[in-house]
Amino acid sequence: MRRGSLRILCALLLAFATRAALAQDVDAGRKKAEACAACHGPNGNSTQPQIPFLAGQNFRYLYFQLRDFKEGRRKHPETDPLVAVLSKQDMWDLAAYFAAQTPVLTQFRPDPEKAKKGEAKAEEVLCTMCHLGGFKGQNEIPRVAGQHYEYIVKQLHDFRAQRRTNDAGNMTSVARTLSDADIDDLAQYIAGLQ
Amino acid sequence: MLREHILIARSALLVAALAAASLASAAGTEIKTHKVETGKAAIEHVDVTQAMLNASDKQDKNWLQTNGGYSQTRFYPGKQINAGNVKRLKPAFVFQTEVTESMETAPIVVNGVMYFTTSYDHVYAIDAKTGKQFWHYKHKMGPITTFCCGPNNRGVAIAGDKLFLGTLDAKLVALNAKTGEVVWETQIADPEKGYSETMAPTVVDNKVLIGTNGGEYGIRGFVKAYDTNDGKLLWTFHTIPETGQEGVWATKDATGRDMHRDIAAEKEALAKNGGDFYKILGGGVWMNPSVDLKTRTIYFVVGNPSPDLYGAIRPGDNLYTDSIVAVDLDKGTYKWHFQYISHDVWDLDAVSATILVDAKDKSGKMVPAVIHGGKTGHVYVHERANGKLIRFSQAMIPQENMWTLPTADGARMLPGANGGVEWSPMAFDPQTRLVYALNLHQPMTYQVADAAYPGGKLWLGGAFKTIASEKQWGRLAAVSVDTGKVVWKHDTEQPLIGGALATAGGLVFFGEGNGDFDALDAKSGKKLWSFNCGAGANAMPVSYMVGGKQYVAMGCGGNTQLDYKRGNSMFVFSLE
Repeated sequence: MRRGSLRILCALLLAFATRAALAQDVDAGRKKAEACAACHGPNGNSTQPQIPFLAGQNFRYLYFQLRDFKEGRRKHPETDPLVAVLSKQDMWDLAAYFAAQTPVLTQFRPDPEKAKKGEAKAEEVLCTMCHLGGFKGQNEIPRVAGQHYEYIVKQLHDFRAQRRTNDAGNMTSVARTLSDADIDDLAQYIAGLQ
Repeated sequence: MLREHILIARSALLVAALAAASLASAAGTEIKTHKVETGKAAIEHVDVTQAMLNASDKQDKNWLQTNGGYSQTRFYPGKQINAGNVKRLKPAFVFQTEVTESMETAPIVVNGVMYFTTSYDHVYAIDAKTGKQFWHYKHKMGPITTFCCGPNNRGVAIAGDKLFLGTLDAKLVALNAKTGEVVWETQIADPEKGYSETMAPTVVDNKVLIGTNGGEYGIRGFVKAYDTNDGKLLWTFHTIPETGQEGVWATKDATGRDMHRDIAAEKEALAKNGGDFYKILGGGVWMNPSVDLKTRTIYFVVGNPSPDLYGAIRPGDNLYTDSIVAVDLDKGTYKWHFQYISHDVWDLDAVSATILVDAKDKSGKMVPAVIHGGKTGHVYVHERANGKLIRFSQAMIPQENMWTLPTADGARMLPGANGGVEWSPMAFDPQTRLVYALNLHQPMTYQVADAAYPGGKLWLGGAFKTIASEKQWGRLAAVSVDTGKVVWKHDTEQPLIGGALATAGGLVFFGEGNGDFDALDAKSGKKLWSFNCGAGANAMPVSYMVGGKQYVAMGCGGNTQLDYKRGNSMFVFSLE
């Protein structure tokens, strides 16, 4: 069922991809993003905890991640086939669309003790040097404030194990120094930044 | 690096991503559509001939090229302002731009009109005597820009009635010098792959010469020549050859010190994995070439290999990174090269613009030479004909533990990765036969991490980390090109970055991060004058005459890379 709908969506995306456009276009991105909603939720507000919300994410981060999926530097079985058919214009439009959406608050309630330890760890390893204060991100550095707890945990584990390596070595270096408990604390803290 | 240089954050663990940080705060000055604002007054006539450009450094009326002329001596031959009267130097006017961000520009002045740039590729044309604005060009920026060390621009070049501007989104733009309107525009390279432009182009004989940033992004560097009339590409010299980057497997640097390479392991890696990495090996060129019109040769230096700190995936000497290179002006073909550091893993590359001088060779005979101030802290003096190293100067700043290899936890070595001499162009005074070099002293540790090519994102392969407990400072060093001796030095409270200017009035002008713009006695180094501009004085000073009066101009917008206080102003001084 899922696979069938994916194929249809891919075809739709192909059709959109042939339309010429000049700059990144939020409206064009809205149509192209219909394929993404099945997993990433309405307007990029994912309701599945292991799938990241994209609403309000930074344009340049979104574009670079799409390009990394397309060129094989980041992999995900559901995302790969969808992104494979996208043109540069499609990726610009999609990134512009999701960047323009308003994130909806998640229901996550952090464990206060763990969140406190996570905040201290975040200070120690200088997360905000790149992610900025409040983890709101900038340029190709993602906003992670209020992201799903499960997704943050998985990404940090993936960076540590070098399963995700499209970070130019920054996150893999930092994650190398984190214990399982550190990762849990950090995710509690960051997911709670609503 | 490239320049590029690396953004070094104090007490930073990971410097990489910070580079982009500057963008966020000033994003409002990134323009999405081309825009020209015009003032009431109009520029009547502009025609800069090749004869004027050839004689740029031999006249005191105009400042026609970024570094003064094709020799790039940054020596101004006028002496109305001199060691005897400089204490009377006062601001004539201050021009405020709308961009409050890092300023590295060198104004171009032609017949009383000044052209200069700001961060994010704005260009202003103003009256060089009064500061009144003629026009203001705002470049329409593409959606993706990649640059490591601030949204800088180092100025325009001029020829005929056109200005030439390189942009952060890797375009070359020709503007009508009278109106600021775009005449033509061409895409130099793909900004998504890490290419960007911050240097001022150099124009000679209807060719616009420009290199590229991107040594921190896995580019393949080049110098390109474009036709001034239509922007058509005339030739490309790749700073990374398709074959032969491995060179001679040098074990020592230009000064004879061992670089601790494991040549056997490198050879094995090359044999096993092949040499396809030449396509992402870096080698940016982001300061102007000097031009010898007699031999039709350009001389430039090439920046660091990519990734900066992680060398295991790029076995070989990594030619022509960290080298001075001579190329045929008309054909773009290779003439010679000299590599300072083979297989660099410290980003102690070659950045500051080359200068053409005559210097004594080892037998004491004066020969045509080309010199370069290195991040290593040495001034290198070469025979211009063949690149042979005549001498290298005494170290201008402390060197320690060279060449300690980077480690996973960080290994301390001096100088830090910004130098020595960063992009800061030196000045050469033919009267004192001294070259004046702005130096940094920034103790750092060098940390390596393996990192796969990230597809045009910042790629350091580790981190540079300043050592919080160690004091940083700057030094302007005066070095004899004939002996290599440091004749005098003037120390400053902060590391120095920006241009030097020497004048026939026996003065050396330069600026500091704290906002001080200073004049020193060229012979002794004694401070004769200083004015605080209220924001980092880190651009490139120039001098010129309008209506029989000499002026000195300095952009004071601070510096992103060293995080010096930002401003937005062009300060212009004259005798009261």
